[in-house]
Amino acid sequence: MSDPTVSWQVKANEFVIPVSKEQLESADIIKRSPLEFHLVQEHRSVSARVLSAEPGEKKMTVEVEGETYVIEIKDELDQMLDKMGFNTRAHKTIKEIRAPMPGLVLEIAVTVGQDVKEGEKILILEAMKMENSIVIHADATIKKIHVKSGQAVEKGQVLVELE
Amino acid sequence: MANRGEIALRIMRTIRRMGIQSVAVFSEADRNAPHVLYADEAVCLGAPPSAQSYLNGDKIIAFAKELGVDGIHPGYGFLSENAEFAQKVEDAGIRFIGPGPEAMRIMGSKLAAKECVKHYDIPMVPGIDKAIEDIGIAHETAKKIGFPILIKASAGGGGKGMRIVEKAEDLEEQMQRAVSEARSSFGDGSVFIEKYVSSPRHVEIQVLADMHGNVVHLFERECSIQRRHQKVVEESPSAILTPELRKRMGEAAVLVARSCNYTSTGTVEFLMDDKLNFYFLEMNTRLQVEHPVTEMITGIDLVEEQIRIARGEKLSFTQDDLRIHGHALELRVYAEDPLNNFLPSIGTLTRYVKPVGEGIRVDDGFEEGMPIPIYYDPMIAKLVTWGMDRTEALQKMKAAIRDYHIEGVATTLPFGLFVFEHEAFVSGHFDTHFVKDHYTPEKIKEKQKDNAAVAALVALTYLLEQQSITTPVVNKTSSWKRRLA
Repeated sequence: MSDPTVSWQVKANEFVIPVSKEQLESADIIKRSPLEFHLVQEHRSVSARVLSAEPGEKKMTVEVEGETYVIEIKDELDQMLDKMGFNTRAHKTIKEIRAPMPGLVLEIAVTVGQDVKEGEKILILEAMKMENSIVIHADATIKKIHVKSGQAVEKGQVLVELE
Repeated sequence: MANRGEIALRIMRTIRRMGIQSVAVFSEADRNAPHVLYADEAVCLGAPPSAQSYLNGDKIIAFAKELGVDGIHPGYGFLSENAEFAQKVEDAGIRFIGPGPEAMRIMGSKLAAKECVKHYDIPMVPGIDKAIEDIGIAHETAKKIGFPILIKASAGGGGKGMRIVEKAEDLEEQMQRAVSEARSSFGDGSVFIEKYVSSPRHVEIQVLADMHGNVVHLFERECSIQRRHQKVVEESPSAILTPELRKRMGEAAVLVARSCNYTSTGTVEFLMDDKLNFYFLEMNTRLQVEHPVTEMITGIDLVEEQIRIARGEKLSFTQDDLRIHGHALELRVYAEDPLNNFLPSIGTLTRYVKPVGEGIRVDDGFEEGMPIPIYYDPMIAKLVTWGMDRTEALQKMKAAIRDYHIEGVATTLPFGLFVFEHEAFVSGHFDTHFVKDHYTPEKIKEKQKDNAAVAALVALTYLLEQQSITTPVVNKTSSWKRRLA
């Protein structure tokens, strides 16, 4: 179900932007120096700068209004290869809760085997001198608790497993 | 210099300009920090956690004696409002560069402060007049003054241990959290309860007092833009104060300072309702994070004044000598993600380029390649701009934010840009609910998406030119169509 007008999939940070050949050809872009460009887009005047590029990898970084965008480009061949390869759209449920930031577990509000409802408090994590309630975003049952109160955790560390 | 990071560096710059030698202290996490590299002498206090390093007052005093230090500047945070530490410093025969321990003790307890200023006809917010830990009394008080109420740590500051409670059902949980936070942050779990003023603005007055009874105020700072009850954006002068109101608030602040025989720099915080009535909140017995905006509009180096006062010198100016010149804005650049609830964002500064230019001041304590330690406050820098008027200061600020490049951690820079571009801020019609009323991460996201589209077009143009991507083939038909048309 590929859109015939889409020619490139451009990933810019967390955004995925499809760009057609027509769009690119009709864009008002001028080159001001080897790495500096200027655009007039929907009457908006904006400058952009190439900070780094790995042309072979189709990867680069571009700065727009002080913000840096990490770019990865997939042309039609790449997109076709992706399609022939794997369709990695896994079924998504919450299987675990990970620490959103490094900190200290102050209090655990649940026990193994407990059924928890969406929005319920799971534990309290202290970071940067603030106490943060970590809540669950779906209904689930607590399968395993990986941390103890008083324990320091790293960002991304699994706190609680769910089923 | 009993502190770290940007404030240690900022204070040592003034110290050096005055021809005085400085001694930095540092924890094992901060060996590479600019404040250590800048100082004339430096001592390692110990392991990274604050309790074993920057909060270890006895160790700091012992090193100070060993090195023949004349004065200790506490900066802000850490030991800056610890009266016991100030007392020990004085007892060791060293000058504490700040107010006397007695004034700190009074103003450090919000209840003692209220008691102290009671005789001076300073307006105050309705609430309980004693510290409590008991939920029953909390319920009773809340019922009497009516919801919403505010729970505050008696020994608190900086929004820690502070909770708003909208309804009776939430009181117990919020009270527990506030008491627990107060106990872990300040070692004192007592809290007090007061009426929560809706649509409040936070306006504070800077005061300076010497040891000879001279007290002046250096006008106001508007600090209403806050998240989690902590300031992010400050300015001076306020967009809404009239000269008459400024004078009345300034005089009230001077009286508060006099009530406790205050010396050095201090800040008297007021809450202001939508009818411009002001209420005394508390006095901060230290230099404030937002002190640069006052320095920019008065031309006075507050740290230099602190040192002169600590030496016993008289203030070299009177109230009548002080004037407001232009307008100054400050943005606190925190390592926090404004797109994710302002949660701390930990990492390494893989790119760090700060803005430079006339009327731009950056007080920072980090360099490219440095990690943001998890042990301390996540503030990276204070970005300050000055202009002849508010509009000019605003324009400079927006340009400076765009020229401030930080990668590796999320920061409050995009949030700052959102604030400074927002109609409510530009017009001056905002209160401490700005974030709740006007801010959603989607608004920053939308803008980023537009810029991402620009970046995408530029990237494609560049790579096509480098011939590293292929031009599409399936669109040949549409090219034909166009040719025929």
